[in-house]
Amino acid sequence: MKLHLNATHAYRGDWLLAAQGTFCEGLHLVSGDVGSGKSTLALMMAGLLSPAGGSIVRDGISSIMISLQFPEYHVTGATVAEECRSWGLESDPILSEVNLMDKRTTAPLALSRGELKRLHLACVLAKNYDLLLLDEPFSSLDAREKERLCEHLSRRTVGITVLFTHEQTCFPQVDHIWEIQHGELLDRGKMPDALTRWEHAPALIKKIISAGKILKNISHLDLQEAVCRT
Amino acid sequence: MQDVRMRICTATLLTLVSFFSVVGAVGVFVWWLVFTPRFHEIKRIRMVTGTLILVAVAALFISIAGGDGLSYLVRMITIILIGIWLFSEQKTGEFLHLGVWLLGNRTGFEMGMIAEMGMQMAESLAADLDRIHMAMMIKGQTWGVKTLVPAGLILVSDALVRAQDTAELMAVRGFYNGGTFCPKFTHKRYDLIPAMVAIVVVFLAFIPVSEFLILYQ
Repeated sequence: MKLHLNATHAYRGDWLLAAQGTFCEGLHLVSGDVGSGKSTLALMMAGLLSPAGGSIVRDGISSIMISLQFPEYHVTGATVAEECRSWGLESDPILSEVNLMDKRTTAPLALSRGELKRLHLACVLAKNYDLLLLDEPFSSLDAREKERLCEHLSRRTVGITVLFTHEQTCFPQVDHIWEIQHGELLDRGKMPDALTRWEHAPALIKKIISAGKILKNISHLDLQEAVCRT
Repeated sequence: MQDVRMRICTATLLTLVSFFSVVGAVGVFVWWLVFTPRFHEIKRIRMVTGTLILVAVAALFISIAGGDGLSYLVRMITIILIGIWLFSEQKTGEFLHLGVWLLGNRTGFEMGMIAEMGMQMAESLAADLDRIHMAMMIKGQTWGVKTLVPAGLILVSDALVRAQDTAELMAVRGFYNGGTFCPKFTHKRYDLIPAMVAIVVVFLAFIPVSEFLILYQ
């Protein structure tokens, strides 16, 4: 199962995003500043936006799911329960998982942004997809929910998962790091070697590395383990 | 046409002519062919196909009921074309200029502001419709009667939430009524030509030209 970006590029006015590389099975982190083109790349990889040039080849990928940054953009159900069913899911297990059982008849857009994001992610992650694209999945989540999401993603072993984020505090265990800089997708390589090349790395990770400590990965547990190591 | 006052007057005249006379509708269609970007604008505006289908269905019913469906179809299509031209030429803020110029800083300001909000809402609805369509594609759903009702509910609910947000924001900023605004309009000399030709179309539609020709013979 592979996703190939062959000299893919997209224009937005006078702004250009160029991407080249292959995404294999595992969890990929694509980092970049706000407005760097992460969402555009995610939409192109999902097939919802046609590239201006180059091609995207989905090798052995039969199911694709994209989680857009704003959960409201996914709403098609008139109630919270209907919204769960619109994803082809039983509503009760999902709603009990995200503690929204008492809001099953509420309109999804009447939920708080955090509640809606929680509900949306639970629906997206309830099924396995060959290609799962998550655009800023941590936005609107509190620290506990971010950690829960990281644990879930770290456990995911099937298919290609691509995490597009500018998050600096909370990460799952990733296999590969990419970053978008000056309109270009740069392959920083596999973990843990990618860490030394990762320019958008959070200050804490940079400090741990500069202190000469070896980081195996970037999850909270990995950071704790590296910091505590003597 | 740069000046919104001239544009709205021209559109009003052409719409009335189209509505009341088939000859006028034909004249308006020629005017539309000569003075507007024609089909280039139609492609940009969605809902055109849906509106045309609705008009065609109504015309069919009128014909079946013994009325002149063809005349209705011709007149309504030209009115839609003029509407598309008016909508596509519209620039943000123009209604506020027009409202204040027409009715002053209190009533005019409020009417202009409401019209501007209406235009913004129309753009938001189009964006909402796009994102609902994308969400359905992501979920593997297709447009149909079953998805139409929830989509409509979301559109209405979103519009109400946005309206409430705007109202609260205005109240917080101390808006009570009216405002102070200096209306400005830009116009080019060339704009006079389509406006004058529109007046000629009105005369040609309502003056019995054929009787003049008989007199001449």
